[in-house]
Amino acid sequence: MNENVHSRAQQLFAQLLVEGLSPSDQAWLDAHLRECAACSRETSFTRELLAALRGVPVAVPRELAARTQVRVRLRAREFAEASGSNALLWVVTAASWVLGIFSAPLVWRAFAWVGAQLNLPKLVLELGFVLWWAVPALIAVAIVLHQRAVRNGARSL
Amino acid sequence: MTDDLQSLAAGLRRRDPDVLDRLIEQYQQRLFRYLLFLTGDSALAEDLFQETWIRVLERGHQYNAKCRFESWLFTIARNLVIDVSRRKKFRSLEELGDPESPQPYEPPDERSASALQMLVTRENERAVQLSLLKIPAFYREVLLLRFHEELALEEIASVLAAPISTVKSRLYRGLAALRSALPEGAV
Repeated sequence: MNENVHSRAQQLFAQLLVEGLSPSDQAWLDAHLRECAACSRETSFTRELLAALRGVPVAVPRELAARTQVRVRLRAREFAEASGSNALLWVVTAASWVLGIFSAPLVWRAFAWVGAQLNLPKLVLELGFVLWWAVPALIAVAIVLHQRAVRNGARSL
Repeated sequence: MTDDLQSLAAGLRRRDPDVLDRLIEQYQQRLFRYLLFLTGDSALAEDLFQETWIRVLERGHQYNAKCRFESWLFTIARNLVIDVSRRKKFRSLEELGDPESPQPYEPPDERSASALQMLVTRENERAVQLSLLKIPAFYREVLLLRFHEELALEEIASVLAAPISTVKSRLYRGLAALRSALPEGAV
């Protein structure tokens, strides 16, 4: 037998392991392995090697799973709390918008009265009116961002 | 099977801690082995094990019930390993990022080998374990996924985010590398 035959046998055996063989190639390989002791020994060795690879035991450190479960539970609780507080935030925001829309004419009238009493320019009145609505929202955003930063900081520790 | 995966996906979407508890128990051995084989560092593998499950919790809504859970789990773990390798420049992990460059098989230094050696407990697997340490991480990884985890080629391609042709090529080369790293009669 020439070298090419043995080389083909080894290639087909690798192909068998990786992606499988067509029936004709399988038949050729089986016939060759029956006749060739060297190739048969080589393939047996590779099979034993893979069997040993499958058998390599790795000991998971004690308590690793338990520690991980605790961490995951804590994180899940943070998510649940965050989603609860987010829901509350949305409700409060929606309520404040509804109140804001309905009370806007009254607030504007109050600003106009104060402006008339103090003789303030219209620009100052408009600016004050915008700030009256914007400042609470900006404070709420700052609180949310601060809470998020604290949560992320605690998680990265 | 599909119903199981659907209910698993629903549990992950809900971030149900009981579902996560069961998964951690069920996959602890396989995930830890995968991380250990990739990193060769037991302390790092432990950290990444925990981070992987935290990420599973955070990204549970992304799990597609059409694919096997372990493929998705290994993908998350692998991405974390790559993130760490970029931050800390581990030699064995850098090999994952440059898989097709031919490199000579250099025996790893004693310190990096010892972590994996300590965790492999049976003496008669020592030869295989040592030969695994001699081959590059990207070969070790595909050999583990194919012959230990018994993932299909398509699943391995999904974990590696690489074409199937690349997976096959790494498997062929990995088999040759493993074979040449181990003297005959050592098994």
